[in-house]
Amino acid sequence: MTSNLHRETVETVAFRAGYLALFALMVVPLLVVIATSFSDGARIAFPPENLSLTWYVEFFDSIRWLEAFTSSIIVGVGTAALATLLGVLGAFGQEFDDSSLGSVVAPLVLIPLLIPPVILGITLLMYFNEGGLRGSYVSIILAHTLWATPLVYFVMRSVFSRFDWQQLDAAHDLGAGPVQSFVHVVLPNVKHGVFVGALLAFIISLQEFVMALFLSTSTTQTIPVLAWTELRQAMDPMVSVVSTFLILISLGALALAVIATNLEWVSKQLS
Amino acid sequence: MSDITLQGLEKRYGETTAVEDVSVEIDDGELLCLLGPSGSGKSTTLRMLAGLETPTEGAIRLDGEDVTDQPAYDRNTSTVFQDWALFPHKTVLENVAFGLKMRDVPTDERRERAQAMLERVQMGGYGDEDPTTLSGGQKQRVALARSLAVNPDVLLLDEPLSNLDKRLREDMQIELREIHDDLEETFVHVTHDQDEAFTLADRIGIMNEGELIQVGDPDEVYENPKNRFIEGFLGDTNFVDATVARTNGEAVYVETELGAELILPSDGAHGLESGDELTLSLRPEILSIDRGEPDAAATATADQRAVTDGSTTNAVAGTVANVIYRGSTVRYSVSIDGASVFAERTDASSGSLSAGDDVTLEWDGEDVLAFRADGSRVSLREP
Repeated sequence: MTSNLHRETVETVAFRAGYLALFALMVVPLLVVIATSFSDGARIAFPPENLSLTWYVEFFDSIRWLEAFTSSIIVGVGTAALATLLGVLGAFGQEFDDSSLGSVVAPLVLIPLLIPPVILGITLLMYFNEGGLRGSYVSIILAHTLWATPLVYFVMRSVFSRFDWQQLDAAHDLGAGPVQSFVHVVLPNVKHGVFVGALLAFIISLQEFVMALFLSTSTTQTIPVLAWTELRQAMDPMVSVVSTFLILISLGALALAVIATNLEWVSKQLS
Repeated sequence: MSDITLQGLEKRYGETTAVEDVSVEIDDGELLCLLGPSGSGKSTTLRMLAGLETPTEGAIRLDGEDVTDQPAYDRNTSTVFQDWALFPHKTVLENVAFGLKMRDVPTDERRERAQAMLERVQMGGYGDEDPTTLSGGQKQRVALARSLAVNPDVLLLDEPLSNLDKRLREDMQIELREIHDDLEETFVHVTHDQDEAFTLADRIGIMNEGELIQVGDPDEVYENPKNRFIEGFLGDTNFVDATVARTNGEAVYVETELGAELILPSDGAHGLESGDELTLSLRPEILSIDRGEPDAAATATADQRAVTDGSTTNAVAGTVANVIYRGSTVRYSVSIDGASVFAERTDASSGSLSAGDDVTLEWDGEDVLAFRADGSRVSLREP
């Protein structure tokens, strides 16, 4: 009995240690990057020799970085809006389609995720050249939407599978037309899912680099694109500052998503 | 208030037919119960009435106006759903006011009307509650108020009481009936519960396998069921297989597994021939059960009795196999030559019987219903 307990304890400790090691492996580089952003030297160095906010001041003085930051936000918000609209409506429509066509559509939605972004980037570049959209925000938003929509779609499929569809019948029955019942009855019940989907789309867009590299110009380049160009010239801590911002934005969005899903979970438990 | 006509209504899902050729006229202010087992198409029929399903064929008319292709939100019908389908993100009052909001009734007026409707169903104090915290009975009342608040031409009820426990269900049946009589609106109520249908309905429509088999007053469908399915569905009965031995102008004589030859008095309208297979229905309430052997007159062959005194009484001897107390009545299961028949009586009617007692079962042949092998009713008398 005691030896058994002992063995279990060892196993638990080993498991936790392994888990912790894995976690550290993923998180430590991020911490290193954040630490180097507070250096005052001209090159990235770890540990930083002196702590200072020099490069943060530099960042807010740099028009190029601020422009890239603005571009990333514009593209991210645009992608979130478009991908959420398409993903939510797609998943909603799928609920009413029991034809064999419907079972084909779901896997098709996944295709953009399976094509290497380099190929997607080149293809879209040629495509947008023809359409005269090259270098515009619209082209990057459309490219990112290709990636983000499937994720929103699958989040919403799972959210809608828990929705009580009799409520929609009740809404129609009480005189609410299709749009009214969607706005007054469906949306309030799935709003947390929509929120999570939109955040996912935003984060996807924020960190996407390859397609943005192909499709952006110097006026529309996003943060990852500018970071890459800068890195090729100089390994200064500005890149760390930018990375820190990206990490913080993603973490912030993630935290919001967790809060939203937990709220949903809590409300499910209460009902 | 509206009258409704269903004409040749049909609903198919691919290969399966959920509702087949349903035609019925429902009067203004009537309470019609659609009664049938699950999967009989009664809910689908109701959903077509509500506009939540589109018929594959046939027509629906409300007050003479064809509404067959009108969507639910353009139709002034209102449904109380089985699971009530209250909106969990709205308060009780908002739920009740929802239909009025969709009809662009000003905020103050709709709050007032919703509150009045809540009071009507004795839920006046619950306006600000979260509907998910209510009990089943309370949810049912709120769902009813929500449907009635829009002043529907027709109120449709899709088994709204089936999720309540027995006592509450019976109270609600009476309350529903009172609300109906008060409002004088047309109600169509779907249920699989015979007692509920008999308690509520002006008329009962019995459905099975997508077809509306019989529509009539409660006593009419009970006393005069159109086929064997209805007879079995409306109440407990003993079905006994029988073969026609011979017929004459006064009676049909049948042989059964109960051993004795039985008389079915008939004026000859039946069209039966000897050798025809029948099923007889011996309802427990027509059987009298008494201790002891049948007397001599009764044990004479059916033929002799009919000829001698014109009696239509049948009597068989059996043994009590078991006794089940059912509150106000006692049910005796009697075995007769290996076959089993049950009879009921109130316990006080005479000394109680116990398992193993020899008994006589007697009944008047006039009270027996007979059905052909295909389930159709045999008319033993000219209507």
